[in-house]
Amino acid sequence: METVLFALYALTACGGALGVVLSQNVVRMAFWLVVSLGATAGLFFLLHADFVAATQLLIYVGGTVVLLIFGVMLTSSSPFAAMKTTPAELLQGGFLGLALLGVMLTTVLAVHWNENNEMLRQVDSQVNDLTYNPPETGNTSRPIGTALLGARFDRDLRPESEGLSPSLSPGYLLVFEIISVHLLVVLVGAAYLARAKQVVRNRTDSRSPEQTAA
Amino acid sequence: MSLTAYLTVAAVLFVCGVICMMTKRNAIAVLMGVELILNAANINFVAFAAYGPIGLDGQVISLFVIVLAAAEAAVALAIALNFYNNHLSIDVDRADELKN
Amino acid sequence: MLLTISWLLPLAGFVVELAASRWMPRTSRLPAWFAVGCISTGFLLSLTALGIWSFTTAPAVVSAPTAIAAEPVEHPTAKQPTAKQPTAEQPESEDTESERTATTHADPLARAWSGTFYRIAQFGHLDLSLDYYIDGLTLVMFAMVTLIATCIHLFAIGYLGGELNEELVDHAVTLPDGSHFHRPGRFSLFFAYLSLFCFAMLGLVLAGNLFQIFVFWELVGVCSYLLIGFYVERPAANHAANKAFIVNRVGDFGFLIGLMILCTGLGTLHFASPRGSDRAPGLYQLVRTPQGELTVTGAGREKTVSLNVPDGAPAKSLPYWLLTAAGLGLVAGCLGKSAQFPLQTWLPDAMEGPTPVSALVHSATMVAAGVYLIGRIYPFLTPEVLLTIAYGGCLTLFIGATIALVMTDIKQVLAFSTISQLGYMMLAMGVGGWMAGLFHLITHAFFKSLLFLTVGSVIHGCGHEQNMERMGGLRTKMPFTCWTMFLGVIAICGLAVPMLPPLPWIGTLAFSGYHSKDSILATALAFASSNPVHSLLFLVPLLTAGLTAFYMFRMWFLIFFGAPRDVELRDLSHDAPRVMQVPMFILAIFAVTIGVAGEQGPLVALLRTAEPVAVTAGMLGAGSNWTFPGEQEIHQQHLMAGGAALLTAFLGTGLAILFYAVGAVDPRSIASQFPRTTRFLQNRWEFDPLYEQLFARPVRIVANWCVLLDRHVLDSLLDRLAQGMVRLSGWDRRFDEAVVDRVVTTVGTSTWNAGELLRKWQTGRLRHYVTSITFSVVLLFILLFLCLPGR
Repeated sequence: METVLFALYALTACGGALGVVLSQNVVRMAFWLVVSLGATAGLFFLLHADFVAATQLLIYVGGTVVLLIFGVMLTSSSPFAAMKTTPAELLQGGFLGLALLGVMLTTVLAVHWNENNEMLRQVDSQVNDLTYNPPETGNTSRPIGTALLGARFDRDLRPESEGLSPSLSPGYLLVFEIISVHLLVVLVGAAYLARAKQVVRNRTDSRSPEQTAA
Repeated sequence: MSLTAYLTVAAVLFVCGVICMMTKRNAIAVLMGVELILNAANINFVAFAAYGPIGLDGQVISLFVIVLAAAEAAVALAIALNFYNNHLSIDVDRADELKN
Repeated sequence: MLLTISWLLPLAGFVVELAASRWMPRTSRLPAWFAVGCISTGFLLSLTALGIWSFTTAPAVVSAPTAIAAEPVEHPTAKQPTAKQPTAEQPESEDTESERTATTHADPLARAWSGTFYRIAQFGHLDLSLDYYIDGLTLVMFAMVTLIATCIHLFAIGYLGGELNEELVDHAVTLPDGSHFHRPGRFSLFFAYLSLFCFAMLGLVLAGNLFQIFVFWELVGVCSYLLIGFYVERPAANHAANKAFIVNRVGDFGFLIGLMILCTGLGTLHFASPRGSDRAPGLYQLVRTPQGELTVTGAGREKTVSLNVPDGAPAKSLPYWLLTAAGLGLVAGCLGKSAQFPLQTWLPDAMEGPTPVSALVHSATMVAAGVYLIGRIYPFLTPEVLLTIAYGGCLTLFIGATIALVMTDIKQVLAFSTISQLGYMMLAMGVGGWMAGLFHLITHAFFKSLLFLTVGSVIHGCGHEQNMERMGGLRTKMPFTCWTMFLGVIAICGLAVPMLPPLPWIGTLAFSGYHSKDSILATALAFASSNPVHSLLFLVPLLTAGLTAFYMFRMWFLIFFGAPRDVELRDLSHDAPRVMQVPMFILAIFAVTIGVAGEQGPLVALLRTAEPVAVTAGMLGAGSNWTFPGEQEIHQQHLMAGGAALLTAFLGTGLAILFYAVGAVDPRSIASQFPRTTRFLQNRWEFDPLYEQLFARPVRIVANWCVLLDRHVLDSLLDRLAQGMVRLSGWDRRFDEAVVDRVVTTVGTSTWNAGELLRKWQTGRLRHYVTSITFSVVLLFILLFLCLPGR
């Protein structure tokens, strides 16, 4: 069952991505992007990351793509049909992309992930105090939330075994705060950058640069 | 499924995003390529969170990535709008004032 | 101490006057008075020193008992620095002497003060230091030099009055456009030079080692050069100054050879070391024994002189011929300085300088330096050297006297007279009359400077006219000068009141010149009678005494008597001003009285305290074929020599009166009967043309060769070298441009081209950048896979 679902979602995601690449129309590209992002959310669900998947759907699909559509709408003008890439560039891009894919796949397939993980698990438990604790279920909102507040229950509340002292790992509180400020700054910056100005419409006036700079 | 599969999917997504950035002339299309790339990275993170040694950290990180991607998209869009307002075109090839 | 001060005072004077000539107005006489002050203070100090010396040192008295002269005397040490110690050679010499002669003489070294002012350096055996050597001779010379210098300073204040102007016209110099030369006056400079000269002369007299004498010797020569060439704008003065210096230099060459021989052979140059000091024995103590003997062994070429080393030191000896050569070398220096044959040509030309210069430098002091030196080095002159000196002096005195007969320039007459009298002194020294020569030196200084001063007053009074043939009958206009000159002329002629028995203190009634000339002739006669082969050494001076009287009176008569040959000159002339009369008067007194009582007098007694033992004992001729007379022998010849001298002197005077005063015989007719002789004499025995042919012309020829060599060989060599360098630098330039520049430019251009190439990469396009990134990543990964060890 899991395999089927995985195959479904994987193929959808890859197909959507390909659709993005191969479309000529920006709006169609946006649609295929939605498809791809949705399939990704499904993959997340399969990986026991409920909270992340939900966030993905909310923000990416519901927010970012909408944003992109808005952008397309605001910047549409007649000459976008003339924006075609030359076949030479397409070939070059495709070739390089495939080369990159090959490289990455080679890397991925060359590593024996299971043996590595086993080894790391043993090493971790002996040397470090880190505990190896992947989420068993998808019920991650609580652990994530508390992690964001600074308390790592998934890590710090393990049973005491011999030779291991109790630890208190730092959470993600600081990062949380930084991200908040960052969002604020981005908001302000974006608002400033995209402020309303007089749009130049094929005027040969010398006044136009000053106006647009205003 | 195995970790390798998920990583493969992420790789494909990644490459598609790169090709988008390389070949598309529309600025918005380039942004979509960026989104694809970030998405691929997210898949990677979460896959390792599930199969790898990093545990919950991977998921938290991918949360942050999502947030940042959104912010970045907003800013990039603002820039593109600005560019459009100045040059009346969204073609990235027009932005070659650094030429030579 | 006193002597040191009086020696250094003129040096201070020189420095001050140089400064004064810069800063003070040209018309001020103050520098001159300052110089006079310096030198007169010096005179007073030396007089005081003389007095102290005479009172604390018993003078040697002929035939006095041994006891008086024997002990070395205590000197008041309060005034003296501890460096001085009297040499205390002990009176064993007295014992041996008293056996032989009744004359006793303490060893002069017992009374000399010798010591070191300042030791400059010591290199092994070589000891460089500023020494002094003070004995009777030193003190007498000091007093004489300072006194005459004082008088001449006073005289010069009056004589050089013309220099006090801001601008004076020099009539002896004509510019190309025919006018006379105008220049500012140089009054204080003259006194600066005079002070420097006094300093040098006194230093020479005070010196305690031969090298120091040489230093001051040269300095005196320099001052003479400066003073002769005082009127620098006159070409004649410049030539004369050059001639003086160069001829002196020729003599100094011999001096240096002598110095070197003595230094290497004897190891030291200072005269005497105080007893008990740690210094090597001085020259006096080395060469002759305390008895005055020269220890000679061997014969012919192998003769050696054993030196008197102190006990314990290894025996040293010097080849005899080397000692003779040293003596000849030193004597050569004296010949140059004292204008003897063959180096006498400079002195007549030196009369180009102002008359005070001639009076001080060229009659009394500098030319006396030569004779003084011979007096100092007497103990180490071998008999051969002495004989050479004697013959040289003999020849010189004859030459000088004969030329003076026909001279018409009054200064030239006196110049040749000086040459002649110096010849007398040399002759005296040569035949063993140490005391006689130096006695004549002192007296000659006085009366010759007096004569020069009177002549200077004549010149000054007649408006710088020097030709006797235009003068005459000046007696009425210049009485003071006339009668002062008369005193001087009598002194130089050596006239005395004959047939009178010697008066108690004064001795024979005569002026100083008589006494000194008398002792010279007595010595010469004694020598000639002991060695009859050298009788010429007596006859020639005798004859020349007559000649001297003749030409001196000739000059006197021509100037002051008879009808004036140039009436206008006579009318314009005037007598000397007071400032010039005073020194003449002083000198006249001394000229009269300095030799009073002759050989029994105080001057001689003072000189005898310094007389080397060898002379007294007649030991000079030890080891040679000639006998030099001792005091005894000289004394015996006195009467005869004195009588003969007086006879010839009166004869000469009589002839002069006949020719010039009375006018019985016309000298011009005699001259026309011996035309060739007259011309020969007037051309000064043709010495100048001879030297011109012998020395000057070859030098000029060689100089021409050198010019040709320089021009054709050296210059062409240099030219070719320069051309080669130019060519080389041309190649270098081409190389530089072709290779080096090319390299540099290539580097630059290739960098530029690479930059241009790379520039094209920057398209400004985003997509290209992304493509590049991807490509690079792929490449890197592939490389990594290839390079890393795979698993």
